[in-house]
Amino acid sequence: MAILVEISEALQNGRSRDIKGLVEQALGEGIAADVILKEGLLSGMDVIGEQFKNGEIFVPEVLMAARCLNNGTAVLKPYLAENGVKAKGKVCIGTVQGDLHDIGKNMVKMMMEGKGLEVIDLGKDVSPETFVQTAIEQECGIICLSSLLTTTMGVMAEVVKKANEMGIRDKVKIMIGGAPVSDKFCKEIGADVYAPDAASAADAAVEIFNEVK
Amino acid sequence: MNITIKLDGVDISAKRGRLLSDVLSLHGAETEMPCGRHGKCGKCRVIAHGMLSEPTANERMLLGEEAIGNGVRLACLTRAEGDCTVITQKRSESRVLIDGEMPELEIKPTFSGYGVAIDIGTTTLAARLFDEGGRRIADAVASNPQGVFGADVISRMESALKGNAEGISKVTVEACDSLIGMLSESAGISSKEIGGGVITGNTVMLHLLTRTDVEPLTHAPFEARRLFGEVLTASELGLCSLGAEVEIYLPSCIAAFIGADTTSAMLGSSLAQHERSEILCDIGTNGEMVFSDKGELFACSTAAGPAFEGAGIRMGMVGRVGAIDHVSIVDGRLCAHVIGEVKPTGICGSGVVDAVACLLELGIIDETGYLEGGEAEISDGVVLTQEDIRKVQLAKSAIHAGIRSLLISAKTDISKVDTLLIAGGFGSYLDTDNAIRIGLLPSELRGRIRSVGNAALTGASMLLLNGELRETAKNTVLKVQVRELSGDQVFADEYIERMMFE
Ligand code: B12
Ligand code: FES
Repeated sequence: MAILVEISEALQNGRSRDIKGLVEQALGEGIAADVILKEGLLSGMDVIGEQFKNGEIFVPEVLMAARCLNNGTAVLKPYLAENGVKAKGKVCIGTVQGDLHDIGKNMVKMMMEGKGLEVIDLGKDVSPETFVQTAIEQECGIICLSSLLTTTMGVMAEVVKKANEMGIRDKVKIMIGGAPVSDKFCKEIGADVYAPDAASAADAAVEIFNEVK
Repeated sequence: MNITIKLDGVDISAKRGRLLSDVLSLHGAETEMPCGRHGKCGKCRVIAHGMLSEPTANERMLLGEEAIGNGVRLACLTRAEGDCTVITQKRSESRVLIDGEMPELEIKPTFSGYGVAIDIGTTTLAARLFDEGGRRIADAVASNPQGVFGADVISRMESALKGNAEGISKVTVEACDSLIGMLSESAGISSKEIGGGVITGNTVMLHLLTRTDVEPLTHAPFEARRLFGEVLTASELGLCSLGAEVEIYLPSCIAAFIGADTTSAMLGSSLAQHERSEILCDIGTNGEMVFSDKGELFACSTAAGPAFEGAGIRMGMVGRVGAIDHVSIVDGRLCAHVIGEVKPTGICGSGVVDAVACLLELGIIDETGYLEGGEAEISDGVVLTQEDIRKVQLAKSAIHAGIRSLLISAKTDISKVDTLLIAGGFGSYLDTDNAIRIGLLPSELRGRIRSVGNAALTGASMLLLNGELRETAKNTVLKVQVRELSGDQVFADEYIERMMFE
């Protein structure tokens, strides 16, 4: 279906103004909303994710594509709900307490949404309690922690501790990231997964949900 | 169990399993550790042989197999498992600019005999000696010895909180003492003839110097509980080159990340003394900027990262012998200038700006920052990588977006700005056309950009030579409206927008 390719390409090129019209056109052609989502919008995000991972494109292009994704899903939302399309999994994400950097965290969120996951955004300066509580109350499969300051990385260890205390580690995975964070640090504090960039983070999240199934 | 490490030819004894980075700092080696020993920057290189821990994945990635085969290791990731030899790289003197014209000043010295002004920069310390008549007698510079505790202020505070506060303060005081020694020697006086001084620096530097608790400065909401604007005696500071009772003035800071160096630089560049609209901007790891709208003052601090100081860039280095500091295009090809006219070993901040501008000009980098082939040779084996270009994009747009959001928050159109004053060493070596080309500075300001050299040191000198200015400066600080960029949507939008190369 040519229109789906067109949607995917428009998204990759960040033509956020065109997306709404293209998605409406696809609906008009009688294509199911979940197909438009998967084979148009999300397949475009896959390409974006791959290119970002390889360093071919950078933050602005990803954000422009994400804007397209948002515009597109806004049109699709009522139809998706009608069909009872469910997300592949649910995660909560936030920048840890004491840190207000959120650009990277927002990108991880977008990429995860681009993989069809439901993401609860807790914002920035988020306390360990809030992360763990949200994960329990909202039944999230993954807690995602972002930190850009070497001085607030320690808060990630506190989240791990809190999650241990609450006995949720078998149900909830903890994924961490941010420029100063490393795989080594992830192992040190006993978190589950580290990912170096937003696209890898989304891939890792999908993998976690696939394993659970 | 103790083992023997031959460190630069000297046998020392150490505990088995110790990290080489610990051994190095314990024994005063000058190896830089910009990322604060997190195994991320790849700069703490040493050559090591013998019984060592296996190279980690990070080392393999940052150094490459070839270097590892030659014995190159990262000190912060390598443990001495038994006897071994370690060779460190010596730092050579970096190029520092301490010039800056002093505005007209009525001399009312705050000291008798001689007076000293010191600027503790995050990377460099600069000092100046004056006599009672306000004559400049001598200058001296040194690199900031805190480098071994981390490159940026956050890493150093982290180190201070982990038990190194005393050590950091000590090396800083010692560096000041040694500068004073150098000044006295070149002036042919005894340091005890110095009757007063001013020490300026950013808020973190003054905290670390005075052993003030830095904890509140390390996380949001970043509160500075001590803003200085006070006199301490040499003995209180621990300076032993001066008489115990000699008074040292530490100028007022504006906020956690807008320090006394900014206050001094405002004075040194005569900002707010005119009926003009001027921006003063210090481009470093942090970009502090103050906008004076005919005397109404706004300030912010934006974090750029160390790309313009050569750190975080694969072959980046500070501006010293061997660094490519300027690049131009000659007959369609890149042509590089190297400090000291030697074979280049790396590239420094001003070189990076030029190189990126030239690569854009030649179409090797496109407007999104994509680098054809992933790597571009600048000269003689010195390359910039795709990753480096991305770091430059993050850094330059932080500065650019900072300037724009500050103006927007002050409700001033950029066309109304008369001058952009660039303070600090980087500004003096910066090619402003190239800075505009890569989007580090707004193109609307072309032709209105002026470098003011080390305005912080100039300002500190003024506070030394005219005591009345201290009161003026204190009052000015109170008038500054600080704009917080975290959570500012205007900044966030501008930041993303300015990341491209137009
Ligand atoms: C932009 C920026 C800011 C902006 C933030 C705007 C915002 N809304 O976020 C502003 C100007 C406000 C700011 C302020 C400060 N900053 Co700042 N900032 C930066 C800068 C330049 C870029 C960060 C960024 O957005 N990168 C782009 C994003 C996309 O990358 P990223 O965050 O790394 O995310 C990627 C990955 O890490 C990963 N990822 C991120 N999160 C997660 C989470 C998970 C779960 C996973 C799996 C992956 C993942 O995916 C992302 C995409 O691939 C960096 C320097 C640099 N070059 O990195 C400094 C930097 C982070 N800041 C720094 C500092 C010190 C500060 C300040 C404390 C001081 C100051 N004024 O300068 C303040 C205080 C901020 C606060 N209150 O918390 C330092 C930290 C030093 C240290 N040792 O920790 C840095 C490193 C600069 C430096 N070297 O001095 N900053
Ligand atoms: S890699 Fe060792 S200090 Fe950065």
